[in-house]
Amino acid sequence: MELQEKLEILSGAAKYDVSCSSSGSKRSSKTGDLGSVSTSGICHSFTPDGRCISLLKILLTNYCIYDCAYCANRRSNDITRAAFSAEEVVDLTINFYRRNYIEGLFLSSGVFKNPNHTMETLGSIVKKLRIEQGFKGYIHLKAIPGASQELIDEAGLYADRMSVNIELPSDESLKLLAPDKKKQDIFAPMKQISSNIVLHQEERKKYKRTPLYVPGGQSTQLIIGATPDNDFSILTLSQKLYDKYDLKRVYYSAYVPVNTGAHLPEIKNPPTLREHRLYQGDWLLRFYGFRAEELFTEERPNFDINFDPKTNWALNHLGHFPIEINDAPFNLLLRVPGIGVRSAQKITSARRLAPLSYPDLKKLGVVLKRAQYFITCRSKYHGSVDLDEDKIRHVLTPKLDLNELDNPYEQLTLFDKPSSSQLLLPPMHAKLLLVEDRPTALTGEI
Amino acid sequence: MKDYLYDGSFDGLLTAVFYAYTEKEPIRLFKETSYRPYLLSEPVVVKTEMDKSDRVYQGICSRLSHTTLTNIYYLYLSEIPDSETLAFEYIKLCFKYTDTINLAKNNDIIRTVDKYAKRVLMESHRLKGFVRFKEVTPLVFYAQIEPDHDILPLILGHFKKRFSDQHFIIHDLKRGYAIVYDLKEAYLHDLSIEQGEKLLHFTEGDPFEELFKSFYKSVTLEERINDRQRRSYMPKRYWKHLVEL
Repeated sequence: MELQEKLEILSGAAKYDVSCSSSGSKRSSKTGDLGSVSTSGICHSFTPDGRCISLLKILLTNYCIYDCAYCANRRSNDITRAAFSAEEVVDLTINFYRRNYIEGLFLSSGVFKNPNHTMETLGSIVKKLRIEQGFKGYIHLKAIPGASQELIDEAGLYADRMSVNIELPSDESLKLLAPDKKKQDIFAPMKQISSNIVLHQEERKKYKRTPLYVPGGQSTQLIIGATPDNDFSILTLSQKLYDKYDLKRVYYSAYVPVNTGAHLPEIKNPPTLREHRLYQGDWLLRFYGFRAEELFTEERPNFDINFDPKTNWALNHLGHFPIEINDAPFNLLLRVPGIGVRSAQKITSARRLAPLSYPDLKKLGVVLKRAQYFITCRSKYHGSVDLDEDKIRHVLTPKLDLNELDNPYEQLTLFDKPSSSQLLLPPMHAKLLLVEDRPTALTGEI
Repeated sequence: MKDYLYDGSFDGLLTAVFYAYTEKEPIRLFKETSYRPYLLSEPVVVKTEMDKSDRVYQGICSRLSHTTLTNIYYLYLSEIPDSETLAFEYIKLCFKYTDTINLAKNNDIIRTVDKYAKRVLMESHRLKGFVRFKEVTPLVFYAQIEPDHDILPLILGHFKKRFSDQHFIIHDLKRGYAIVYDLKEAYLHDLSIEQGEKLLHFTEGDPFEELFKSFYKSVTLEERINDRQRRSYMPKRYWKHLVEL
């Protein structure tokens, strides 16, 4: 098989993995070395779906012994199978890198023979890149669930980031859709990587020559919409992963139906808006000091897709508002819908010199469309309606019902039942453009 | 009103600032080459004097801050028509209210300075990704770019560190100069479009270009095409030099 054809098959098979970031690492390089890492990550290109290309994202092979229902590469699928040789992977990586097409390599694989054999092969390729070629660029390596401890320990010495994909957010879903995989097989390597990272960091404080171990941290991915798991349980899981294993990122991937099967939903429309709201919720956990328990209630375990999660929370906790812009502490400013980390920083900076006026807020980048109902400025409330849940909810509700638009089971068309306001419906793929807060989560940065 | 014209160098700009500072009437600053005479103002050509520019440079460093100096440098690199006059206003503002005025993110001058500086930084960050090298001979690479702002000095360090074992040239076609790295040093050097065309002749038929093109196609998720989002991250004006498009 030609290299080009292999590349097409094996990058096409890896594309459902959304992780592409190249950030967070701090590997140093000397003059004469090839490659360096950038802490903020660099995107080299963007595909027509708006996702960034930062790494050469490929599978080593799409042969797989497992038969996970949701996966395009499952054993029972009749697809063209291919496998790279170690030399081919090294050659592609180095040559793409030298032309500045990529930040480095993202290497994953179907499981061939057994998990140990797969992990060993992946590890040996990465080692080859680092030691034989002296490559100092970014390497993201998949840890294969079920592989032995020693193999994962060693692979971590050469990778900048490692990840184990959980894919299915609960034990029941796992049993249903991926019966070959066990929950503990997924969490064991994750736990091990995280304790190794801590160990090496401690050692490095004492001995400078301690090698780096997965300096970019680890990440994972959850599939959204293939199982009945609700947003609450998904974000609770993410929160646990951040707390317990100190994960750098949890990626969410709206389920794209690549297979059909008894246990799979017949989705016509990937729930991309739900995915977007989950990313926003995830951001609230990581950068805004929210806890998953605050964002949901028992009765409402899913986000209302019409509002961003912070607005959702604020509307349910109106007692906390309004907040006075000129003396609220930073962490409270962050809780106001329409105020992000940057505008909160600008507010705290500018008010050190003089109290802010309402028109100033717009200059600082505050989204007054949402913020106006939750703040006072010099003790004056500027909202266009009273501070009342129903009234605010009414003015903030988008004209098109996004919940309906994101319904995975029904693809709305111009000629459907003439209900609601769907006369000027945009094409489905453009629905993300309807939300005011544009998704930024899928770039390789941060 | 007077228009101070400088030679286009950063020292020239600082010299012009030095002389403009003592003027009572409103002053605008321009590059000599891009200046269009204006009926109501009198053009004054300023010759670059290193001692004057040094004084301004040291003054900003010691009495204001390094961050402020960096902002002024970004304004200079931005090449936005009113950026030099803005730099002058900014320096005056900072000396009047001390460097803490930079906290006033609601002040119009500070805001515009931040905005322009951010544009320059953003573009230099983007181009760290969007530069596409073509192989001229083994381990000698050549790339062309046409950035909006004069960002070559800002990306030099990054590329030098990353590709320290290969020769490379990054050619800014708009400004007719390039980063040249010869395995020892990276420096900025004049390079004409014709010279660039000659280099480009040697780069045809690179198999990895084809491979990258097919990679680009196959990683796209057809179900989620979102061209507007792509264009917002990667505006069309950069596409000309991207091999995959």
